[in-house]
Amino acid sequence: MKSVRREGAGPRRFVPVAAAVTALAALAACAGCSPPGAGKSPAGANQLAVTDPVTPAQVADLGEVTLRMWADQAEKPLMKSLVPAFEKKYPNVKVDITYKSFDDLVATVVNAASGSNPPDLFEGNIGYAVDGALVKAKLVRPLDDVAAAYGWITGTGASTLAPARWNGSGTAFGNGNLYGMSPISEVQGIYYNKAQLKELGLKPPQSLADLEKDLPVVKKAGKQPIMLGNSDQYAATHIFSDLAVTEQTPASIRDWIGGKPGTTFVTDGNAKAADTMADWAKKGYFGSGYNGLSNEDAVTRFAKGSGVFFVGGSWNGATLDPEKFGFGALTTGGAGATASPWHISASSKVTPAAVAFLAALHTPQTGQKILDTGRLPVVTDGVKGGNSLQSQTLDALKRTIAAGTQVGYYDWTATDMLNVMGGKLQEVMSGRTSSSAFMTAVQDSWRTARQAR
Amino acid sequence: MSTAAPTTGRDTAASAPASTNRTGGRRRRPSPLTYLSSLHWTSLLYVAPALAFFGVFVLYPIGISVWYSFYDYDGLTVGTPVGWGNYTAVFTDSQLRAALLHSLVLLFFYAALPVCVGLLLAGAMSRIRVYGLTVFRAVLFLPQILSSVVVAVAWRNLLAEDGPANAVLRAVGLGRFATSWLGDFDTALPSIGVIGSWVEYGLCMVLFLSGIVAIDRSTYEAARLDGAGPVREFFAITLPALRPQISIALILTITFALRNFDLIWNTTRGGPGTTTTVPSLYVYQDAFQNRMLGRASALAIVLTVVILLVVVVVQLALREREGPRRRFTGPRTPARKVHSS
Repeated sequence: MKSVRREGAGPRRFVPVAAAVTALAALAACAGCSPPGAGKSPAGANQLAVTDPVTPAQVADLGEVTLRMWADQAEKPLMKSLVPAFEKKYPNVKVDITYKSFDDLVATVVNAASGSNPPDLFEGNIGYAVDGALVKAKLVRPLDDVAAAYGWITGTGASTLAPARWNGSGTAFGNGNLYGMSPISEVQGIYYNKAQLKELGLKPPQSLADLEKDLPVVKKAGKQPIMLGNSDQYAATHIFSDLAVTEQTPASIRDWIGGKPGTTFVTDGNAKAADTMADWAKKGYFGSGYNGLSNEDAVTRFAKGSGVFFVGGSWNGATLDPEKFGFGALTTGGAGATASPWHISASSKVTPAAVAFLAALHTPQTGQKILDTGRLPVVTDGVKGGNSLQSQTLDALKRTIAAGTQVGYYDWTATDMLNVMGGKLQEVMSGRTSSSAFMTAVQDSWRTARQAR
Repeated sequence: MSTAAPTTGRDTAASAPASTNRTGGRRRRPSPLTYLSSLHWTSLLYVAPALAFFGVFVLYPIGISVWYSFYDYDGLTVGTPVGWGNYTAVFTDSQLRAALLHSLVLLFFYAALPVCVGLLLAGAMSRIRVYGLTVFRAVLFLPQILSSVVVAVAWRNLLAEDGPANAVLRAVGLGRFATSWLGDFDTALPSIGVIGSWVEYGLCMVLFLSGIVAIDRSTYEAARLDGAGPVREFFAITLPALRPQISIALILTITFALRNFDLIWNTTRGGPGTTTTVPSLYVYQDAFQNRMLGRASALAIVLTVVILLVVVVVQLALREREGPRRRFTGPRTPARKVHSS
């Protein structure tokens, strides 16, 4: 206790000590005061050209090696069935996967890739924050040769490669060299509770117009029309994008997300979509406590029977009972996007093994496994849904890709877009700000991000 | 090394044992040279491992942050020097000003409220003999030990629209006040504040209780003989004697309030809208989402300086003045010797 008592005499001594410590620290770090990052040399010496599919003999030439990977933990069920088959085919390769939650992966993978001992194969995320940084710093190997050798550019799902194409400086995506590949796609749409719809005498909505007719009926019957958990701020932006894509051409949204000069978020379609969100919120179609409920909790509640509709995407399907729930796209195809692409480290010493693994992800057989583990494959040839919910989601995806409505996600366009758009949309929905102020704020953030690149 | 400064014999007993034996010799005022050679280098040896650890894991990262804060740096490619640009950006950002205001509101909930509640509880416990005090103390201290993610998830459910908090309100006929506490624009910030109060009050109470134990019982007896009631007793004896503990409690809680991130990130992410944003939220977003390490570092440095300033102000305000302290030293000294031996 007495040592605590002595603290009373501290401040006069404390101030100079604190100042000295800070000065010392600054001095220690700023040796020579060269700019940070100056010492690093970009990797990329190890550019083995791939002209044909990698053979087991080529991989065997590597000797006993470990293929180190970083993956989203959502990949675990798929990897569990994929890795043993891979290790059997390439017995000299041991696969070592580090799983991370999506948030954690996105926050740390760029640093891991730029470290002295980066993983050979890892998942990034489309957009400037992760993939853009990886390309800009030349940390990932271009995959154009691999895509040509394995026929990815001509087969089904070829269009899904676009978001992984970048210009060399990492400042624009959608065109250019291929730097990643995702075997998984996503489609946005609406889930419905079959029993509740039947009880209310309603049919599954096929369009936004259908849904708008159904919502007041559900509300009148004393049920919550749409289950929404928006405390993470992103769930409502998915509903907004479903509405926005019905009000304007998908291509115009895709251009804006890609950062095309001269495009704007301030459009009649977006204004209408934002007004609809505010209107629905005001009428109580989302219930009242949605901003205090996390998206995860909302899905759980919907799975247990609260709420008649849930607007989300194929990534929510795994937790829903296919007997009880159905899925439909609200638009001609519905919005959606490719999931996080895989990248090969530019400084990998086991590139053939990494290429072989990447190729194993992009096959119809793996496509079937992806669907079986509750997600949607990019390669859909011969892939069949095991239940009605899976088939409905797969159908929606095929139609989306065919219709070209895979516009991508708004947060790809600027690293802080999710916060800006999500926060402002909360304000729109509570009637605290207008749809025009919302659009202006989003456009400002888009412009600032473009100027910074 | 400041711990080795001349102090009274009583106080040195509590400071680092390595320097204790030498204080007797230093009374003869040695020249600066002997002072350095006789004392500092050997004692430096004792603290060398700790100092090395401190240097590598505390000083070096701080230095790196200062260095980065003068560059436009994405963590990967070569940074470009921007001078004080990142700092001017910090001071001109209107979003950050709003975030700082939220922090001030949280100061009340995270620091002022827990100290008051802690004082009240400790004051009450000092008068009543509580059986199983250790158990009470442990239970009330529990929020401080729990991982803040656990705290956040638990409170998210407690404060949910259909959660226990609203169930209680409805049960007592106050159903019209029931709301989604963390999701409502008007209640989100105070609700996060209440969570912070809950986390911090146990720490304050335990600090104050341990301070009260050190107060000589005979002072209370004397006060009672003079006819002091419980309130007078609290303000005349307990409160002044707890001054150092209050100072420590305030420093800890204020630091917690100003750099708080995890509770907010795991409950509202700064929403709804931007009603619960705080500076550290922007530090995280700039560093890990926007890859603007320079701006994130500048903001972190500013935040550190603000916290240091506030702590210094608190320390100066609660500094023990000689006058009021003397009044109690007399009767207390013998008792304290018994405690410390």
